[in-house]
Amino acid sequence: MKVSVLQENLAHGLGIVSRAVAPRTTLPVLANVLVATDEGRLRLSATNLEIGITCWIGAKISDEGSTTVPARTFADLVGTLPDGQVDMDLVVQTQTLHVRSGTSNTDIKCIDAQEFPPMPVPDLRDGVVFNVSDLREMIKQVVFAASSDEARPVLTGVLLTVEDNLVTMAAADGFRLSVRKAELSQGSAQSMKAIIPARALNELARIAGDGDDTVTMSLPPGRGQVIFRTDDVELTSQLIEGSFPDFEQIIPVMHNTRTVVSSAAFLKACKQAEIFARDGSHIARLNITPGDELQPGSVEISAQSEETGSSEAVVEATIEGQPVLIAFNVRYLREVLDVVGTPNVALETTAAAAPGLIRPMGDDGFLHVIMPMHLGG
Amino acid sequence: MHTNWEMLGHQWAVDLLKKHLAHNHLRHAYLFTGPDGIGRRALAIHFAQAINHPERIYDPEDTHSQQIARMQHPDLSIVQRQEGDRDIKIEAVRELQRALSLTPYIANSRIALLLDFEQASESASNALLKTLEEPPGRVVLMITAESTDALLPTIVSRCEVIRLRPLPLGMLADGLEKKLKIPKDQAKLLAHLSNGKPGTAIHLAQNPARLEMRSKALDTLHSLLSSSRTDRFAHANRFYRNKPELVDTLAIWLTYWRDVLQQTTSSQTPLINLDRAEEIARVAQQLDTAAAHQATRQLETMLQDLRTNIEPRLAAEALLLRLPTISP
Repeated sequence: MKVSVLQENLAHGLGIVSRAVAPRTTLPVLANVLVATDEGRLRLSATNLEIGITCWIGAKISDEGSTTVPARTFADLVGTLPDGQVDMDLVVQTQTLHVRSGTSNTDIKCIDAQEFPPMPVPDLRDGVVFNVSDLREMIKQVVFAASSDEARPVLTGVLLTVEDNLVTMAAADGFRLSVRKAELSQGSAQSMKAIIPARALNELARIAGDGDDTVTMSLPPGRGQVIFRTDDVELTSQLIEGSFPDFEQIIPVMHNTRTVVSSAAFLKACKQAEIFARDGSHIARLNITPGDELQPGSVEISAQSEETGSSEAVVEATIEGQPVLIAFNVRYLREVLDVVGTPNVALETTAAAAPGLIRPMGDDGFLHVIMPMHLGG
Repeated sequence: MHTNWEMLGHQWAVDLLKKHLAHNHLRHAYLFTGPDGIGRRALAIHFAQAINHPERIYDPEDTHSQQIARMQHPDLSIVQRQEGDRDIKIEAVRELQRALSLTPYIANSRIALLLDFEQASESASNALLKTLEEPPGRVVLMITAESTDALLPTIVSRCEVIRLRPLPLGMLADGLEKKLKIPKDQAKLLAHLSNGKPGTAIHLAQNPARLEMRSKALDTLHSLLSSSRTDRFAHANRFYRNKPELVDTLAIWLTYWRDVLQQTTSSQTPLINLDRAEEIARVAQQLDTAAAHQATRQLETMLQDLRTNIEPRLAAEALLLRLPTISP
């Protein structure tokens, strides 16, 4: 293999794939990055057998070939090289990669590319096409609700379903549920259903590029993998085995009280309450009082701690229905208000012991369910 | 072809596992028990190779199989005690559970190999229970342990237990001679020395230094038996310094005393130290069963004590002084 690339491109590519490198495993080759010539570009790949990331960078290829380079050594080295051209030359017999740039000459000991676990080759014709910014928004709205408790692996993932041109993402951790639906600009011929590790979606949001780019998603049948591909980046992830709970059942169908508040004001009040609630059990009480002809309705958000004190904040609201006193984990409230994305938000409640439903006003695609906390005494 | 998966002995176990494969009745968890060197790990690995072969047969030439044999396969997770740790930690089991929740990377099934699980901490054992109760799909767990008694009964009851026992000595000698091309006499000796444990026999065959060390240890013991007290003291002084070597030597001596003890009772049980049959017979003639028994007990006690915080020097001196005296 003999190739020339720009230092800037190489450093960028290594930065993208490095998150999938697995430095401490039983397979030494997983600490390496696969470097291979691929149809006029240079391909960089890393995998930890859960997530695999590939990035293609522009290159001048004199000789085709491939090898795997220790990721840490390679990235550190490339970081110190000057701007400009980097020439790489592989001695196949000894698996030594000679890297030359400006006045520096280095040799890196590599591992044969044959040792690298095979990465799937996607068939993108049947894929589902997303707009990158839409996909990133969807991920942001559900992924935080996934569980981090490994004892229930299914809940550490995000359920993704595609039917006709409707795509749904859902995540739940037993205390809250986040569901985001969206329409695809191009319908999908086949319906899909998969549980994708939340970690993989976080990575995807990080590396998928910006703006009007598109991402193609495909689920090769029988492989247990999902593949997301943009022009120059690809992320593959193993799926989680198991069946996701039927989340539709958890979504309340009716409500007694509907509270519409400004998202920003509500978020600010929750952040204030969290300062005191975080020392204890994260409880914030919401005292929801409907208004009358003379004054508007209000939500009083309060929290207290034995040690640090207490806080109360009142937010004006438009309230229909019964007054109610209900308590939530304030971190959960804050996290969902962070991602609603609309100026106003509706909180629908039935009783103090029944789950609350949060919907952004004017956006039917998103909803979030939070279990209430027990109000002792 | 590989009717016995290239194992020495344990044909019944191989047949049973083959039947599970052929009828597609794989259990979600297997427990291989037996003493160290009996072939628990070898059997588990060969089984894993067969499970992840496209045709579900044992074929050591297959690429997956070779990766599994090197314990470097994307769908093989290994849990064992890390060097320097006292036990298998719960973190290792948690990490395993995460890996097992994902679909297999390239093979038919994900395989988890939990080695010497009697060394697991209590919390690690309890954490594993969860996986044994609700195993993820396309996962096969293989656990090895000294015996079922050393594990939580709740673990044992959730596994198909494969109890491996030492092979008849003749059978093992035969196998060593035919499959490993070891000369007949040597094969017979190895079968006796390993007490019917194929793994131990193969290990000895591949490490001549071990055999040499054994000869030396036994020579020393034999000469000490006819030595004066002063010589014994002098030897104890050199002897106690290297603890791992001390433990090794004592274990070898124990096999010798076992043989002597059996000779004094005129038992028909085969000797371990077959190459020293005459010497053992001569020692046995000069001792009665009680004396041989006492010497054996002392060795056992000392081996046990060495695992706790005993003063090795004092123990070594006491042991050597109490060894019976015989005329050469």
